[in-house]
Amino acid sequence: MSDKKFGVTVRAWRQAGPGEKGRMESYKVEGVDPDMSFLEMLDVLNEDLVKRGQSPIAFDSDCREGICGCCGLVVNGDVHGPDEHSTVCQLHMRRFRDGDVITVEPWRVKSFPVLRDLVVDRSSLERIMAAGGYVSVNTGAAPDANSIPVDKDDAEEAMDAAACIGCGACVAACPNGAAMLFTGAKISQLALLPQGKPEKAKRALAMVEAMDAEGFGNCTNEYECEAVCPKEVKVANIARMNREFLLANFLSKR
Amino acid sequence: MDIGFVRRVIFTSIGRKFVMAVTGLALGAFILVHLAGNLLLLKGEAAYDGYVALLLANPLILYAELGLAGLFLLHIATAAWVRWEDWRNAPSGYEERKWQGGRTVGSATMLYTAAVMLAFLVYHIIDFRFGDHSVGFYRMVTDAFRDPVFVSFYVAGALALVLHLSHGMQSSFQTLGLSHPKYTPFIKFGGLLFALAMTGFAMISVYFLLELDHKKVEHHYQVAATEAR
Repeated sequence: MSDKKFGVTVRAWRQAGPGEKGRMESYKVEGVDPDMSFLEMLDVLNEDLVKRGQSPIAFDSDCREGICGCCGLVVNGDVHGPDEHSTVCQLHMRRFRDGDVITVEPWRVKSFPVLRDLVVDRSSLERIMAAGGYVSVNTGAAPDANSIPVDKDDAEEAMDAAACIGCGACVAACPNGAAMLFTGAKISQLALLPQGKPEKAKRALAMVEAMDAEGFGNCTNEYECEAVCPKEVKVANIARMNREFLLANFLSKR
Repeated sequence: MDIGFVRRVIFTSIGRKFVMAVTGLALGAFILVHLAGNLLLLKGEAAYDGYVALLLANPLILYAELGLAGLFLLHIATAAWVRWEDWRNAPSGYEERKWQGGRTVGSATMLYTAAVMLAFLVYHIIDFRFGDHSVGFYRMVTDAFRDPVFVSFYVAGALALVLHLSHGMQSSFQTLGLSHPKYTPFIKFGGLLFALAMTGFAMISVYFLLELDHKKVEHHYQVAATEAR
């Protein structure tokens, strides 16, 4: 394997803390194995930086299996890297060639302030969830099968919406910095199921108002979000959110 | 009396987009009727002036015009508000950025096509609505259509309309929440057809610029002459 190893130059965003002025800095990384993941390559670079007494490049990651939503980098202008519908932890160095210069940046979104280097604060998404992304009553343990009939298609659609891992790629890729794919998915996953239906009007109103309050942009239906979403959440969820919000506004008693 | 729902229409993202979508669709309906009216230019002076006379004879025409102006103003105001917020909140500072294939030429240029159409609209209203009608409406319009400078401006306005509607039609349905796996493909296709139909405005103006109407009259003469023989 060793004969396949190669070197790249990483141009990474360095920022000491929230609100500080940041800049791009270049680092040479040698001995890159094509089977390494992109984040492992950053680990190698960071170990080298630590050995040389420099501060490592801070970045978020947790499961490194593409299911937790922690990681999120813009690699060479691609949100979550050049692979389609994938998280950046699933990106591998075999996508690069010897001598490549790789630009690595954080999500540059107003509502996701940079904490340090490539780490951003996505708690604005948590606050949207806190406004109504739940069912208020205890629905108990798993009920007997078929005691609550759920249409198979509705169950599938709810599951597709629930696949959202809240990574924020939709916002990072949006020309307007809108969080409507995220909010749409979170409203949809509950609106489609019987346990979520009783509160759907209240939920749609509260979550949309919370989303607006966080200072996200307005969706102009350009669908860049759907193109990058690692979980392939569809913009039909945005339409469902619009429908739920408008129905709640005009037809509910709220 | 609770007016919370009115407040939400004005002060929430989806509320404003709702107004933008509804007024956009209404303006789309208007522009289709406008195009149908313009097609009468091809039928000749009597047909076109007769249609204009019919419109002007309607006692409610002034209110219809005011309503139309209201639709334009609401559409422009809500769109400006939406885009102002987007401009402030858009991700910025990326060293590199690649679009991922969601955007279309139409969707990415909405603001620019809007600006072209607004400039066109202002000129159009000053020139035709408040212009000199003494020569008759057909003559006023066709005389303008024989001026290459006017026609270039007119064609630019029509093409901006095509691009604007290529995104705007399907986008309105999405904003209103009217998305369905069965119907959305038809809505998108229908929206594109609707947008393409707006090239009709440009074609009518070029028809008169090339004086094809005179050729049509000559042709009729020849046919009449042959039949008389």
